[in-house]
Amino acid sequence: MSSAAVRRVPRAAVIGVTMAAGLMVLPMLWVLILSLKDSSALMADTTTAFSPPWTLVNYANIVGDGQVAVWLLNSTIVSLLMTGGVLFLSSLAGYGFARLEFPGRNILFIVVLFGLAIPEQAVIIGRHQLFAAAEMHNTYTALVMPGLSAPFGVFLMTQYFRAIPREIDEAAMLDGASRFRVFWRVLLPLTVPAQATLGIFTFFHAWNDYWWPLISATNRDMLTLTVGIAASQQNFAQAEGLGFLMAQAVFAGLPVLIIYVIFQKYIVRAVAGAAGQ
Amino acid sequence: MAGVELSGVSKRFGDVSVIDNVSLEIAQGEFVVFLGPSGCGKSTLLRLVAGLEQLDEGAILIDGNRVDNLPPGKRDVAMVFQHYALYPHMTVRDNLAFGLRNTGVSEDEIGGRIATAVEKLEIGDFLQRRPGQLSGGQKQRVAIARAIVKQPKLFLFDEPLSNLDAALRARTRIELAQLHQQLRTTMIFVTHDQVEAMTLADRIVVINERRIEQIGTPMEVYRRPATSFVASFVGTPKINLVPVTAANAGGLAAARMPDGTLLETTIPWDEALARDGATLGLRPENVRITGATQGQAPATARVVERLGERTIVYAALADGTLLTTEDRGDSTVQPGDEVGLAIDGNAAHLFAADGTGHHAGAA
Ligand SMILES: Nc1ncnc2c1ncn2[C@@H]1O[C@H](COP(=O)(O)OP(=O)(O)OP(=O)(O)O)[C@@H](O)[C@H]1O
Ligand SMILES: [Mg+2]
Repeated sequence: MSSAAVRRVPRAAVIGVTMAAGLMVLPMLWVLILSLKDSSALMADTTTAFSPPWTLVNYANIVGDGQVAVWLLNSTIVSLLMTGGVLFLSSLAGYGFARLEFPGRNILFIVVLFGLAIPEQAVIIGRHQLFAAAEMHNTYTALVMPGLSAPFGVFLMTQYFRAIPREIDEAAMLDGASRFRVFWRVLLPLTVPAQATLGIFTFFHAWNDYWWPLISATNRDMLTLTVGIAASQQNFAQAEGLGFLMAQAVFAGLPVLIIYVIFQKYIVRAVAGAAGQ
Repeated sequence: MAGVELSGVSKRFGDVSVIDNVSLEIAQGEFVVFLGPSGCGKSTLLRLVAGLEQLDEGAILIDGNRVDNLPPGKRDVAMVFQHYALYPHMTVRDNLAFGLRNTGVSEDEIGGRIATAVEKLEIGDFLQRRPGQLSGGQKQRVAIARAIVKQPKLFLFDEPLSNLDAALRARTRIELAQLHQQLRTTMIFVTHDQVEAMTLADRIVVINERRIEQIGTPMEVYRRPATSFVASFVGTPKINLVPVTAANAGGLAAARMPDGTLLETTIPWDEALARDGATLGLRPENVRITGATQGQAPATARVVERLGERTIVYAALADGTLLTTEDRGDSTVQPGDEVGLAIDGNAAHLFAADGTGHHAGAA
């Protein structure tokens, strides 16, 4: 984006956007401030949050408490596996739908699109029973596998591969590249923007997912961060440890923030719907 | 030995026949142009040679070896596409090197070949750029360079100039001609632009509706068009095609034009011309403007186009038939003027009802 395009924004718009952004940020700042206060001080009066002394004791407790570290690890493993798996499968499926001729291709693609329209709520009981019958609950496999069926990913990658002119494949074939090499060295690198979009969304989704981990992971050591933090609210910590709870929330949000900062460019593009450019 | 040989090649897409029993021999080192209107199948024919389409019948040989069962990468051909088809994520240098690496050429050799191509096509300044950072003309040069470094037995071009502006197209055309003179490699060039065909080709293959209409040198195709289609497709301004009644006048054909003018030609008489009416073909340069009372036919100038070195006059015969005619560059003809038309019967063509061309002189 050129700076010329940015310059001519009306003052009113700038003020409006700034205010809206402030409103969005306010609760997060509130969480941040609370997390920096000793829980017992907050018990007496939450308005003490605005005055010193502030402390990092809540964060020290998190790091000291082995449980949160385990949940953090679980969330990381599950999110990374799911992201990697979705990218891998969606790329292959997308290439297949876009470039290979096989009987039933169009019907199969429509079936995939139907997947977009089926909400998780509709299948969750059946899914639970399936994993229960297979005695797979409380495993990483159970946490990751349902997320790998990603109709949106297949759809996105298919459209993306279709948008690449076939002349490119043909040029590579004439250059003596095998089908795999055309896919791997020529087409796949061209889908990096779509991969980034899909990867980021999948990662966020996996990281923030609450419902399926809540159902599948009942063993305290298999909880993900979201489920773990929510579970903390039901014990004494909810009443007595507001500061600790808020520190957990900040802690849970940090990886997402880090990912965002690293992939900011792609995320903004993805949200702006310009991933194709 | 033939550089390329097609024998009895046919191609269908589903039920639709796109190439129908085409046979063709291209000599080693020849520059052949496939010329035809949009949709006639010329790209398909080229893609069959490249291996990007599978043929349904027939055989294709390159350098005497049958290639129609080989994948594109094994045919030792290089192709330049209409939309360049450069790899967008690779630098220009990697674009050139990709095909060579695939076939296991050593890095030293790759460097040498790229250096040669860079010099020929003057692309040295942007070797490290990506295609997105190049102009259309620069992309086209890179695409040509990518073909050259492979040192193939055969070059294939599918309308490589059609995305360039007029000036650049003319320049690149000349460069391609020079390139062919240097390399002396067999080239097949597809275009629907007859000027490109005339200027570049050793031989033109005129294609229409799935079939070859004529194969010949540019001048043969221009002077002795095999069919009325070829006559109307080659040459600007377009040839005049006038329905006539042909008759035998002492072994030569004479044509009665719609306004009643009788044009004597030097075309040997053939009974085929008598059946179902024939068509007279007159190139504009063979219908000259003269004074109102001179020439074979009187006419009225309707539209006058002054091109500088010559003037194109669209003139109506007495019955309203419109002919494209030529006059000198300093012509004073105005629209509405009564003029005479001097028609050169020796240069006339006659087409029988089935479209077959008949021309003056020995076949
Ligand atoms: N993959 C395909 N499937 C079905 N029909 C096709 C396919 N490719 C080409 N055709 C048809 O074959 C015919 C010839 O196509 P081709 O691309 O060879 O034409 P062309 O002479 O190169 O035209 P142009 O000058 O427009 O490029 C056209 O009628 C086209 O619609
Ligand atoms: Mg074409």
